[in-house]
Amino acid sequence: MTDLDLVALMTEKARSVQTVVERCPDWAAVVRYTVELTAAQGGPTVAPWGLPEEVRDMLARGASEKGLRLLDPPFRAHLEEIHTAITPADWGIAETGTVVLDSTAEDCRIATMLSETHVVVLPEARLRLSSFDVADAVKAWHREPPRYVAFISGASRTADIERVLTIGVHGPQHLHLLILQEGAS
Amino acid sequence: MTIQAPQDVKTYRRQLRRALDNAFLRQTLDTFAAAYRESRARAFEGIDLEGLIADIARRKAAALPRLQELYDEFKRRAEAAGAVVHSAATAQEANERIAAIARENGVRKIIKAKSMTAEETFLNAHLEKEGFQVTETDLGEWIIQLRREGPSHMVLPAIHLSRHQVAELFEKVTGEKQDPDAIEKMVKVARRTLRRAYLEADMGISGANFAVAESGTLGLVTNEGNARLVTTLPRVHVALVGYDKLLPDLETALTILKALPRNATGQIISTYVTWITGATPCAASPTGRKILHIIFLDNGRLQLAKDPVFSQALQCVRCGACANVCPIYRLVGGHNYGHVYIGAIGLILTAFYHGVENARALVMNCLNCQACKAVCPAGIDLPYLIKNAVRHVLDQEKRRPVKNLLLSRVLKDRKLFHFLLRRASLAQKPLAGKEPLIRHLPLFFDKTHGFRSLPVIQAVPLRDRWERARPSVTNPAARVTLFGGCLIDFVYPEQAEAVLPLLADHRVAVDYPAGQTCCGLPALMAAEKETARDVALQNVRAVDLDRSDWIVTLCASCGSHMKENYPKLLGDDPVWGQRVRRFAEKVIDFSSFVQNVLKVSPEDFVPTSQKTAYHAPCHLCRGLKVVDAPRELLKTAGLEYVPAKDEDVCCGFGGSYSLEFPEISAELLKRKLDNVEASGADMLVTDCPGCVLQLRGGADKQGRPFQVCHIAEAVARTYRKNR
Repeated sequence: MTDLDLVALMTEKARSVQTVVERCPDWAAVVRYTVELTAAQGGPTVAPWGLPEEVRDMLARGASEKGLRLLDPPFRAHLEEIHTAITPADWGIAETGTVVLDSTAEDCRIATMLSETHVVVLPEARLRLSSFDVADAVKAWHREPPRYVAFISGASRTADIERVLTIGVHGPQHLHLLILQEGAS
Repeated sequence: MTIQAPQDVKTYRRQLRRALDNAFLRQTLDTFAAAYRESRARAFEGIDLEGLIADIARRKAAALPRLQELYDEFKRRAEAAGAVVHSAATAQEANERIAAIARENGVRKIIKAKSMTAEETFLNAHLEKEGFQVTETDLGEWIIQLRREGPSHMVLPAIHLSRHQVAELFEKVTGEKQDPDAIEKMVKVARRTLRRAYLEADMGISGANFAVAESGTLGLVTNEGNARLVTTLPRVHVALVGYDKLLPDLETALTILKALPRNATGQIISTYVTWITGATPCAASPTGRKILHIIFLDNGRLQLAKDPVFSQALQCVRCGACANVCPIYRLVGGHNYGHVYIGAIGLILTAFYHGVENARALVMNCLNCQACKAVCPAGIDLPYLIKNAVRHVLDQEKRRPVKNLLLSRVLKDRKLFHFLLRRASLAQKPLAGKEPLIRHLPLFFDKTHGFRSLPVIQAVPLRDRWERARPSVTNPAARVTLFGGCLIDFVYPEQAEAVLPLLADHRVAVDYPAGQTCCGLPALMAAEKETARDVALQNVRAVDLDRSDWIVTLCASCGSHMKENYPKLLGDDPVWGQRVRRFAEKVIDFSSFVQNVLKVSPEDFVPTSQKTAYHAPCHLCRGLKVVDAPRELLKTAGLEYVPAKDEDVCCGFGGSYSLEFPEISAELLKRKLDNVEASGADMLVTDCPGCVLQLRGGADKQGRPFQVCHIAEAVARTYRKNR
């Protein structure tokens, strides 16, 4: 399977579980997307976690232009305030539309669990076909505990009332996957 | 809250009758059954399902003898990563341990993610009694917790409730009016209300889908995301995990994960799969790291793992599919089809985890239709284990019902058995009159059994007609032994006689050895395994394998029992094993033999415009895995096949099942006949005399506008040379 096929498969499978998928040529596009999305949803805050420092700075500028508040860790202080969380993903699993996040840091977990919208950024080069293709990487994490590793495929959902599929029970109500193109700076 | 299962069949039948009157439940479960079947098939597209099931079964089976070793390894790894790992021998011990952990850490409020293991131990009841405030966070679990009920499905715990019932409940909880049709809004009520509970809780309790020994890692599979919050926000996390969840490595967990969501909910993956290794950072804890306790529950598992038959039950991955496809579950729901654990696996586990008194009645309620077995992702032979569980209950209670003693006594002595059948033919005369049907049952049956007419036992069975009926074939192309089975031999000999000319014309020499007897399935169904073995040997002895290319049977139940269970019962026998296996290999059903071995041609038949519906016998389509042959044979034989809904759902016969649970049997029969009538068929054919008995008896009693016959009779009717 070529890289392009993997991106296409990832896109198809992620969309099938209501993930919004976009390809971004560079980090600037990621920042722009996140800020505009948050503003459009009327969300007052953005909680970035794990971004390169210059991207975080770019995001801070973009957010303030739109009148959004950037939250800083520790996020325990903001448990009920997080509208958008933006984090990178460590791996993508194309055949199930899944992103893999080493969520050992508590701030990463709080941001990705308690936000209304989670924007997750996956570098194209980190995309694999199946869960077995990332097994070695996951095992390497497990060998260096403590670890909290999350496979995330879409937004939180339930079918517990009359089996009607409903999105957004306990976790984020929206998952946006931004696939960062090869060689992005 | 703890719950109790019905303690005897009479009480249980009363409960089942009430459930049959619940129209909402039936409608819901019907829609679910149809939707599940489709979404599961879609989810497994492009996957070698048989190979995957075999892989999971092999991996789980290999882990079971090593549970103690895997526990030790898990404990070493997890404790090195900051967890405390405990082993609890009983449910009580696990509950007390968890309460003690809560007290030691000054806990007042507890939030829980869904855990069947915690349901098993009735953990909430214990913690509440100890003064803790416990909140379930899975939406379905929260709903039933508020109603103080147990789950009615392992994956969809509140599937038995309507939106109206949920709205009413939420009105009580919130004090605000709820619109039952705004399900999304009700879900948001749960989101808001439970968010507070997460933020205030001191301790989170979860189960686990996997316990990976090589790294001391817990794996949790959820859709709502509640398990993530339960394991992240409070300072204490307690995981209650059955010993059977221990796996050697991540690859095994990922292999199971490939099947679990697909088989449970028709999703290719659940939304969140979470892997927790050791005590992760937690700012709410005084040490800055999570206080993590992992409790492995034995509660009979370690003993079960050593059992040569029942250990297979521990391969269960808790997908709930055995309930989804069960025709009885579909009629009565989980509160009437299981105790804590629901569905086929629940019938088995109840006897071991919740005492034989709670299993006594439940375990009888199985048709042996094999639907659960066909869908199990861990390759568990559920119906076989259920029949063994019946015996386990009887043994534990030191009971042996009179009918079991009689059945064993009679089946072991073929001559006595056949003598009694001939006597019965005389005894029924006053009931039948001149017709081959009994429409009014004698008084010793209760009236619930009167839902179908019954056929009469023939005055002259096939074995006595054989010398006259046997066609002479010189220079045979194939030699077969015809295995009649009790119904063909003594009730429907005409079904076999009908096809003898066709077989002779195709140069098939047929033998009908008089030493053959009942196949032994009724003995196995009654949990009389020794008798089943004894009877199997009588049949194996009766057949000259060197002079039989095939053993052909018109009875799908006999066929699948002989092919699959004979090797199970006797395959390892030092004296007979090899011969039994050879016997089993030669067994073939009538349709496959005629269509695929004889390769009959459409030119041999005179086409008819008679619209023909087909009922796929459980033991043919799932037992022998014969799906296409009969439908192709109908076409070859010039019959116009019309598809009907749920062709492969059980007709409700199930041998003696229809006598034990007549209400369920009657309802399944009614639905089957409704579906056939809706197809517009003039004729219903099937390839099992047991199904013919049930379907013809029902069609007669209910005055349905189609006739019912065995596929052998239908094929014989259009056979050119017969006309």
